[in-house]
Amino acid sequence: MIYLDHAAATPLGAKAKKAMEPYFADDFFNPSAPYYPAKKVRAEYESAKDRIAHTIGAKGNDIIITAGATESINLAFTAAAKKVLVLETEHQSVLETAKNFDHKLIKVDKTGLIDLKDFQNKLSSDIELVSISLANNELGTIQPLAEISEIIRKERQNRLKNKNKTPLYLHSDASQALNLIDINVARLGVDLLTINSAKIYGPKGIGALYVAHGVKLKPITFGGGQENGLRSGTENVPLTIGFAAAAEEVKAHLNGNRKHYEKLQKVFKEELKNAQIEPIFLGNKKHQLLNFCPVSFPGIDAERIIYKLEDKEIYLSTGAACAASKGEKSHVLKAIGLTDAEIAGSFRISFGALNSESDVKTAAKEISSAIKEELNRMRGEDA
Amino acid sequence: MRKTVYLGMSGGVDSSVSAVLLKEQGYRVVGVYMKNWSKDLPGMKCPWAEDLADAKRVAVKLGIDFKVFDFEKDYKQKVVDYMLSEFKKGRTPNPDIMCNQEIKFKLFYEVAREQGADLIATGHYARVGWADTSSEGHPQLLRGRSEEPREDGRDERPEEDCIAPTLLRAVDENKDQTYFLYRISEEALAHTLFPIGDMKKPDVKKLAEEKGLKNAYKKESMGVCFVGDVGMKDFLREYIEEKPGEIREIETEKVLGFHDGAIFYTIGQRHGLNVGGGLPYYVVKKDLEKNIVYVSKNLNEKNLWVDEIELEDLFIRGGLPKSGKIEIRIRHRAPLIPAKFDEGKVILKEKIKRPASGQSIVFYSDDTCLGGGIVK
Repeated sequence: MIYLDHAAATPLGAKAKKAMEPYFADDFFNPSAPYYPAKKVRAEYESAKDRIAHTIGAKGNDIIITAGATESINLAFTAAAKKVLVLETEHQSVLETAKNFDHKLIKVDKTGLIDLKDFQNKLSSDIELVSISLANNELGTIQPLAEISEIIRKERQNRLKNKNKTPLYLHSDASQALNLIDINVARLGVDLLTINSAKIYGPKGIGALYVAHGVKLKPITFGGGQENGLRSGTENVPLTIGFAAAAEEVKAHLNGNRKHYEKLQKVFKEELKNAQIEPIFLGNKKHQLLNFCPVSFPGIDAERIIYKLEDKEIYLSTGAACAASKGEKSHVLKAIGLTDAEIAGSFRISFGALNSESDVKTAAKEISSAIKEELNRMRGEDA
Repeated sequence: MRKTVYLGMSGGVDSSVSAVLLKEQGYRVVGVYMKNWSKDLPGMKCPWAEDLADAKRVAVKLGIDFKVFDFEKDYKQKVVDYMLSEFKKGRTPNPDIMCNQEIKFKLFYEVAREQGADLIATGHYARVGWADTSSEGHPQLLRGRSEEPREDGRDERPEEDCIAPTLLRAVDENKDQTYFLYRISEEALAHTLFPIGDMKKPDVKKLAEEKGLKNAYKKESMGVCFVGDVGMKDFLREYIEEKPGEIREIETEKVLGFHDGAIFYTIGQRHGLNVGGGLPYYVVKKDLEKNIVYVSKNLNEKNLWVDEIELEDLFIRGGLPKSGKIEIRIRHRAPLIPAKFDEGKVILKEKIKRPASGQSIVFYSDDTCLGGGIVK
């Protein structure tokens, strides 16, 4: 199997798997119970939260454990009451949540990078929350969050000067980025940050939201008051511990991973370029997650190639999995101004721990020959 | 020259195997997914995108062209709106029959022909035969019954003059779908192939496995896909307002309980009355004006049984036998019942449970599906 869709899901890493195991059946206790074994589970849970938080330069108490990025994002948006501003290429979980508010979309350029002018124009004095992902989930384009937070800081200053008490928060969805970027919440200048275990070789169904001091959120579930009263319900101990192990693991290998992916990129792209099938590489060359290689072959129906390659156990994807399963065209690719033919011919390829150099070389060769076959088939039909 | 067939593909095993067969018979096959409905309903995600992906996957594995025809607007107008208006009149329509008549064997046929198709095909269990119309009266069947499959384009029109296409029951009696197809036009039928019509279902499945399609398709398409899991009543609730009313026992006029809208009930129905206890009650009458549903415990209640069924909106292909003797089917897969058709009425020897108004009664003579009509 050659799996090239790590942006959709990652396999559970060995360390995370091992770390979680005792907490399903042996150390199963409710962390809120009074006896010693439960206290021990409580301590281990809190320590796991600390370890997760440390990977983004925060403390355990600053993060809320959730059931994944979607929930984190929904929780983050409770910081706003009326008006929000989001990037037009955000994931569905951001766009759909924003629809519950009076919202505006910030434009991107042809590489998927935020249009800072458009952002400044739309950042009116009544906006309460701005949500901009750290890295896009289809293109891998990395947004200049430090610049963005500087603009936010100035707007806050303006508001204070004008005695405008409307709060302004910056949320960023960093789901795709944690295993490639050295994230530090203070350096990024974010008030809220979403991270996700499923994309970093941890278990699925668990994520976290970093909440800076002073940011007021509203609970999304009510009950026992866990997670600072914002998310009641018994803590998911095993998955949180798995998440912590995974987060530490990717953080420890950041540099090695980057070099590895850089090499894979080079091999893959060269192979495609040499195949004379005219690939158009998408996204921003300078500001792109190194494991992302989105590419388009206009005139080709990418879905047909995907089904063809299944038989060879090569798995890749078109746009985001959620959009594809609804039969919709990628809003991200539309936003960067691709034509319909370019969208129909585009793949989201994302490398990961499972890939070796020879894997991506083989994959590129097979993709090229499948595309050539398709071109021949189409010529035959026209004749 | 190779003929072009546009094949309706749903992603199910039947249309997938049809694609295999047509390709082997030498046709240029174009797979078409008809996008008729995509709206999610509360508690049910419409699986259209997955179905489309399954259909396309099969097309790709077979190396055939694939297209999507978007018929959503027409389907809503011609099938769903018809269905809702019938229900609102207190009738029980059959949307699948309407879908075949208006969408699959009309719109699909027309668009396919416009795009250069010589023929269309679907994965229905039915066959096309050819009958001699030169002599008067009921056409004599020339070809069709249990013949050896021909190497090149079986079911295609023979050379003889004075012939007309006839719809024939499938070889697999359990799967025969002619009940749903009785209203398709002669023109469409003359240009239609049913590649699996002379196969038994288990053989279709076996062939799918042999051809490596086992993992390519998922489920079989079932009736009206969009009501599949939620059921018709839940679907109707989305479009028709609930209107509480009384449930009365027909013999005594006694109020036994309350319902949420008389139009949600069908004569003969025995479930969901919420009146509870003892023998089951059957719906025997609906008073739509007063919004009263009448029920009875008496299975012999006169409203439940008929030996004459008045029909409207008749659709007959090629005339009926002179004797008027036919067999009828009152529902998909129901047994064939001998009957006579006379002056707009089906006359039966023995009483049967009353088919609801709006349902179809389909006529047969031997293997031929002659047409039918809608219960008044």
